[in-house]
Amino acid sequence: MSKKRIISFLLAAMMLLSLCTACGPSGEGNTGGGDEDTLYLRLSTALQSTDWQQTAIMESSKITYIQLFEGLYGMDESAGGYYNLLAKDVQLSEDNLTYTIELVDATFQNGDPLTAEDVVFSYQLAMENPKFGYVTSMIDTVEAQGDKIVVVTLKFPYSAISHTFFTIKIYSKREYQEIVDSGVTFGTTPHTAGTGPYYVSEYDISAGVKLKAYENYWQGAPAIKNVEYRLITEDAAAVIAFENGELDYLIDAPLSEWEDIEAAAGERCTLQKANDIQFLAINYQSPSNNGILANPKVREAIFYAVNKDNVVKAATSGYGTAATEYMVPDYVATSPRVTDGKFETYDYSKEKCHQALLDAGFTEEEIAAGIPVGTIVTYNSDTAPKAKAAVVIQACLAENGMIAEVEIGENAPITDRLYKLDYDMCVYADSGNYDYNNIRQQVHSESVGMYVVCYKDDKNTFDWQKIESLVDQGVQTADVGERYDIYTELWSMVMDTATILPLYHNAVGIAWSDRVELASIDPFYYHLTDFSWAK
Amino acid sequence: MATKKSPSGASYVGGGKWKEIWRRFKKNRGAVIGLIMLAVLAAVLLGAPLFVFYEEAITQNMEFMLEKPSAAHIFGNDGYGRDIFARIIYGGRVSVAIAILATICSCLVGSFLGAIAGYFGGVVDSVIMRSLDIFMSVPDILFTMAVVYALGANFVNLIVALTLAYFTNYVRLVRSEVLTLSEQDYVEASRAGGAGGLRIILSHIIPNAIGVIIVNTTLNIAKIIIYESTLSFLGLGMPAPQPEWGQMLSEAREFMRKAPHLMFFPALSIVITACSVNLIGDGLRDALDPHLKS
Amino acid sequence: MHKYIAKRILFLIPTIIGVTLIIYLVMNITPGDPGRSILGSGVSQADVDAYNHLIGYDLPFFQKFLNYLKDVFLHLDFGISYVTKQPVFHEIWPRYIMTLKLAFIGMVLSTVIGIPLGMYAAVKQYSPMDTAASIISFLLAAIPTFVLGLVLLFFFALKLKWLPSYGIPDWSGYIMPALAISLPIAAQNFRFTKSSMLDAIRQDYVRTARAKGATEQLVIWKHVLKNALLPVITQVGMSLGLLLCGAVVAEQLFSIQGIGSLIVERITYKDEPVIIAGTILISICFTVVMLVVDVIYAMIDPRIRAKYTKTSKR
Repeated sequence: MSKKRIISFLLAAMMLLSLCTACGPSGEGNTGGGDEDTLYLRLSTALQSTDWQQTAIMESSKITYIQLFEGLYGMDESAGGYYNLLAKDVQLSEDNLTYTIELVDATFQNGDPLTAEDVVFSYQLAMENPKFGYVTSMIDTVEAQGDKIVVVTLKFPYSAISHTFFTIKIYSKREYQEIVDSGVTFGTTPHTAGTGPYYVSEYDISAGVKLKAYENYWQGAPAIKNVEYRLITEDAAAVIAFENGELDYLIDAPLSEWEDIEAAAGERCTLQKANDIQFLAINYQSPSNNGILANPKVREAIFYAVNKDNVVKAATSGYGTAATEYMVPDYVATSPRVTDGKFETYDYSKEKCHQALLDAGFTEEEIAAGIPVGTIVTYNSDTAPKAKAAVVIQACLAENGMIAEVEIGENAPITDRLYKLDYDMCVYADSGNYDYNNIRQQVHSESVGMYVVCYKDDKNTFDWQKIESLVDQGVQTADVGERYDIYTELWSMVMDTATILPLYHNAVGIAWSDRVELASIDPFYYHLTDFSWAK
Repeated sequence: MATKKSPSGASYVGGGKWKEIWRRFKKNRGAVIGLIMLAVLAAVLLGAPLFVFYEEAITQNMEFMLEKPSAAHIFGNDGYGRDIFARIIYGGRVSVAIAILATICSCLVGSFLGAIAGYFGGVVDSVIMRSLDIFMSVPDILFTMAVVYALGANFVNLIVALTLAYFTNYVRLVRSEVLTLSEQDYVEASRAGGAGGLRIILSHIIPNAIGVIIVNTTLNIAKIIIYESTLSFLGLGMPAPQPEWGQMLSEAREFMRKAPHLMFFPALSIVITACSVNLIGDGLRDALDPHLKS
Repeated sequence: MHKYIAKRILFLIPTIIGVTLIIYLVMNITPGDPGRSILGSGVSQADVDAYNHLIGYDLPFFQKFLNYLKDVFLHLDFGISYVTKQPVFHEIWPRYIMTLKLAFIGMVLSTVIGIPLGMYAAVKQYSPMDTAASIISFLLAAIPTFVLGLVLLFFFALKLKWLPSYGIPDWSGYIMPALAISLPIAAQNFRFTKSSMLDAIRQDYVRTARAKGATEQLVIWKHVLKNALLPVITQVGMSLGLLLCGAVVAEQLFSIQGIGSLIVERITYKDEPVIIAGTILISICFTVVMLVVDVIYAMIDPRIRAKYTKTSKR
């Protein structure tokens, strides 16, 4: 067989191949910078639903909560405040129980005007959904007075109600019911049932999402008319896509590649402190190793052994901030502040760790040999920050005479175990806290399925009644200063139990292309209405 | 992999057979290189404590995070400041152990089933082979993923999953070997002499089929090492802190641009190991199947 | 011959049922709780139990399995996803097609790269081309797919900016994932074809043909190829399994919405109906391809008939 022949054979094969590939359907959209008038963003997992009630992943909620739907209140996370959105005016009664809310003249994306009836309908749906119990359980009734007035009556005074007004989004009652009546689950198809500035024009769970601007948006038509979310699962690919100009906005950018992003984005990128808390929790009720974790001195020793700086370096490439509070005080006005020195922080100290172990009754020999303290569990993949934090903590403990295992599992089974208190130690996180009352989900015994440490037990190990009464007291107080004092006392009590150790606040990397200009930068919920095309 | 021909010529020569094979093996340059590479590798992995202590592999030293290779840390440091050289060595022990154990298990299970199917034939054969067809219809990766998912990822379960995915090769292989061999005169003779089924399988058939099995086994070890790393990439590999090549590779992925050496060394280790094992496997096959050799 | 094919097709049915059984069995090793997963954590245990009863989850294993079989094969009903609360089939079908497309492109690619090169290398053994191809194939057989994929990604998407870094916007999106999954298989096909050809070249009938004075080209094309390529066909069919394995990785790496990335994603949420359905669908495809390969093989090779009658007697 001559060479010529082989070459021709190969050529024929290549032609055949290119034919095969060219015949495949050529998908939608195009590569490169793409359409002139379309804004490109990244999704790392598919949008879960077009219904705000059904989105559990933050990334999906950032679309449904802000772009598609609106609530009575909006939220400005970097300034820590709530502002009126669909509520034009809010009056609070003398007894702090009744809110009389006047609605703005907004229309839904389907053209219907926003009415009090829609608000009542939406609140009722949310109140029936146990998932939203944490923001609706204090509501007694929601009633319409005419077309534009809604009256919300509470069971008891509740100062964190703003978060409820922000969280509960308003549906168009007519469209919601029409969709449900036609036998379709709401949220699985594009709809125009929100008042937000954008609506979903194409929704394919396996390909991505396209949004279109709602031209009659009540605050004025958005500057950018078309938005496309591109599904990019691999971080490395997302960074390359951004560098190649295929993405216009990258939020939660992978921090390990931040230097490359900075190099590509120049001035057009920023690192912000995230509104989250990653913490180490110890299950003091764990029976492992003869209940060694029931010993408060052992728990203290574990806390003293944790070098938070190392955790920050490994988990966030050094861009995060070591944490001592449960919430970021910059974002939450009533949050206790470490600068006041009113609560224990368990700063990294080999000496104190060693002393605590001696106090716990261990001998020098036992410490030198290593004391088994159980397993640190966490979820997400091996390369995720939480897993890294767990691995660093394991090494910290080993350095200080304690032996721990690390177990990293899938989200669902692991969180399930955590909620059932079936673990020794865990790296867990809480996010989206804008009111200190949110700590209720971690410290109150009624927050089943949310807390990972339960202070209420048969033996009354801790003064849980006091903890829970402080939570209730805090939320029933309106004055910021008073609430601050109450929460400082509460947090001090929690820290004294040596069960929750704040590790770090994440950093959020945000970068955008030279095609767009941003009116403001939100570390958490971005607003597509803040975007405009660069001149 | 593919069912090769029976080692026709070399089948029933006595002890001289292995000498002859070794002679042919030695003549194969690639195979000898592979053997040397593997010997060095085995020495390094087995003698690991002589080079570096296990503590080095797990001790974190954050000020050396992502440090480039240097005199103190010849392969550099990883995302936790751990010494990559130590992790490669101790990780290799885990990776290779999993690969060898999984191969041995699948070989034992598969050969046993194959021998039974081939020897007894009839209903036994049909049942085994038809079930095998079913097993083979589930692509390896999905089957392993399902098993690891159901049982959880740890050392033992990984071996179980890999065994279940790979034993099918051996059944086919050994069965066809047995079918050919059981027609040979000496097997007929011992059967006529009143030897029982098991004894014939053990004393005649297995020893004669061993050559093909060994070739397949060597080639399989390389495949499984690569396979492990794929599982790690998909998040179904060995649990985190313990070093293991696949998991090191998977961890290194996010630093690929900032610190490529994190990925380079484990990848190189996998390539070297897989290549040397493959070279040996090929050499063995050629040595066992002389008419392929020119 | 027809009887063989008919029998082979008929055997597809028990195989597919068997595959379903194995997967269903494995996935049921750990007890799940569909009611809790679908209804959510806020619903009372009584409601969850009622739901589980309604969908027949509290039945004994085999009854449950029979019901599942019936739903799947008579109504294409794979249950409801725990995550999206949607019928699984509806969600999985487009992604299934995507994975198949990728795997088949990979199959074509690995065949057209591997087999001609293998043929060439066998005919021109020890030529520089043979040595080079052999070394490359050796290395490719030793590199994990995701490493290869990452290297391609950085080279083509970042450095050269030739190809899109994710997804399949048009045909160019197929190039990297298809290369990543097919190169190792091409290497394997290369090695297999080469050894199969070498094997055939040394057979007696080739020697006879040569001795009779047939030209080298005629010998290669007429005698060697025909015999050497037969086992290669099986090899190519079998490689689909490996390609599917690669596709799982490539989908993850290149953000392609196929069944592999879906399964990997849903493992995180313990979305069993989707995992089971995905695995079954892929296995069915694999089974069918193996059937086609067997039938083609039987049609080309008359010896198989003889072999077939022989084994069936045994």
